[in-house]
Amino acid sequence: MKEKKIVVELKNIGISFDGEQILDDLNLEIRDGEFVTFLGPSGCGKTTTLRIIGGFTQPDTGEVIIDGKNMNGAPPYKRQVNTIFQRYALFPHLNVFENVAFGLRVNKVDSKEIEKRVTAMLESVNLSGFEKRQVHSLSGGQQQRVAIARALVNNPTILLLDEPLGALDLKLRKDMQNELKNIQQQLGITFIFVTHDQEEALSMSDTVVVMNEGRIQQIGTPEDIYNEPKNAFVADFIGESNILDGIMREDRLVEMFGHKFDCVDIGFGKNEPVDVVVRPEDIDVVEPEKGQLSGTVSSITFKGVHYEIIVDINDFKWMIQSTDSPAVGDVIGISIPPQDIHIMKKSEYSGMFGDYSTFSDEMELIGDTEITGEDET
Amino acid sequence: MKSSLGRKLINAPYLLWAALFILIPLIIVAYYAFTDTQGNFSFEYIVKIGEYKEVLIRSLVYAAVATAITLVMAYPVAYYMSRSKVSTQKMMMLLVMLPMWMNLLIRTYSWTTILEKTGLINSFLDIFGIGPLKIIGTSGAVILGMVYNYVPYMILPIYTVMTKIDNSLLEAAEDLGSNGFSKLKRVILPLSLPGVISGITMVFVPSISTFYISQKLGGPQTQMIGDIIQKRFDALSYNMGASLSFVMMIVILISLAIMNRFSDDDGGIIV
Repeated sequence: MKEKKIVVELKNIGISFDGEQILDDLNLEIRDGEFVTFLGPSGCGKTTTLRIIGGFTQPDTGEVIIDGKNMNGAPPYKRQVNTIFQRYALFPHLNVFENVAFGLRVNKVDSKEIEKRVTAMLESVNLSGFEKRQVHSLSGGQQQRVAIARALVNNPTILLLDEPLGALDLKLRKDMQNELKNIQQQLGITFIFVTHDQEEALSMSDTVVVMNEGRIQQIGTPEDIYNEPKNAFVADFIGESNILDGIMREDRLVEMFGHKFDCVDIGFGKNEPVDVVVRPEDIDVVEPEKGQLSGTVSSITFKGVHYEIIVDINDFKWMIQSTDSPAVGDVIGISIPPQDIHIMKKSEYSGMFGDYSTFSDEMELIGDTEITGEDET
Repeated sequence: MKSSLGRKLINAPYLLWAALFILIPLIIVAYYAFTDTQGNFSFEYIVKIGEYKEVLIRSLVYAAVATAITLVMAYPVAYYMSRSKVSTQKMMMLLVMLPMWMNLLIRTYSWTTILEKTGLINSFLDIFGIGPLKIIGTSGAVILGMVYNYVPYMILPIYTVMTKIDNSLLEAAEDLGSNGFSKLKRVILPLSLPGVISGITMVFVPSISTFYISQKLGGPQTQMIGDIIQKRFDALSYNMGASLSFVMMIVILISLAIMNRFSDDDGGIIV
């Protein structure tokens, strides 16, 4: 892939609110036409980063460079950037047409031209015939489309999207994900997307920026982020993972629970303590005597495509996703192919994640809903 | 059925109150306005209102000017308040409300000690050998008194509506290219219009029927219709007082109807 020019560059960005450090020495480059997603839990600084690019928030330190120009201190209306806001922020006193026409009217575009561009834009988001409707009479999905049209009609070079799908129900969200992705590919403009939904991030983005506690944890393609997480936080936040303590005995050999496993990782120090990530779907359930490790099944939940099995091995609760369905209390063996063992350096997040002893569906639910009302500053 | 009965019962005390102290007095006002001293139906006093044409027009002009000034003063204050931190908002709200804790008569009376010939302003000017200026008794003093007394009624409704304008709408406007002025024109003004309408109503109505302020701060040349009405009633000329009151009510109703044409459907005080 040819390297495209950098359209947004953040250098050493730092900001704090009320004495709390929100972003800490953040550095990032975004290339033209890229679909970049800021992914992280509530309060990780992703929305703040977006707002700094949009010009709604000015950083305490560091530089914001858009299209090669330093934009520190420039207000939003001086930036070739448009935003789709979390709750759309459509103007309640204007109808659909006037909402979309807003930016063009402000910029004194000729009214015939406005008519033409707004009509075309509404058509492209399937809202023809809605011109005279009041925005509050529209459904969530339709309002979302108006917001998209209102931003895109101005031909921005960069579109910022602040959790735009958070308020939609699951089915609509999936449709809008596809639609946004299509729009982005057709127009070839840079999308910077903020979400706390890791699945959304993985399925839409060219590049995912995983953030936590005001710092970038990892930047990479969705595959990189999932397959090669840099630390325990990333491994835990993206998908399900068992994160175990291990010791790297030598290249391609890691020891866990006193058992040596073949793996494919090299370049660690001899006997270096490491974090080991094993994805639940990569674990094979075998006869106890044939497994590399064995333990007792403590719970099993049917999830449709697979069963989610929690198995207790040496006091560590592993999660396994398998089409096999052992009964609770059964002793099973597990076997992990070498390429599915991923070794990470120890980090500040080591030991904080990855054991399923406190796991329950209820916890998962809390984790999912927590962010919907998020209002990051 | 039961709930609607319950609802009626809840409303009953107010309906009774409204009937006794609003509806019936209105009927009595109308009765006196359209009868002569013998109680016979007559347009005598309605026709006599022509004699007070000048005062009526003056009242309208004073009220309009006072309303316009309060609007210009209150709007930026309300906007600033609504965009401040909550603690600042509370503080400013207190400052706005503070004068209202004192009786209107006392507030107005204290203005005379500031404005009169030997008052604060003229004593100060005297130091430089200027004056004394004639302030009391001018139309300016009367309008000042009205603005001073009624400005909180303009600030509060505008402020209330403005706090409901979501900040993200202002950000969206900026995002779409609006600088400060275009943001005001295209978003803030239209969205705060209902508050402006309420504010104008709440200032215009008491202004046009003002009587005490114009007596204390004004003179014979600044008499307002409220003063005349008061004097007519004091002189036991009920028919004249009632017909003036009646006409003024009509004037206010017409003014409010015009106002409400400017607000769409959901804002303002519907008459």
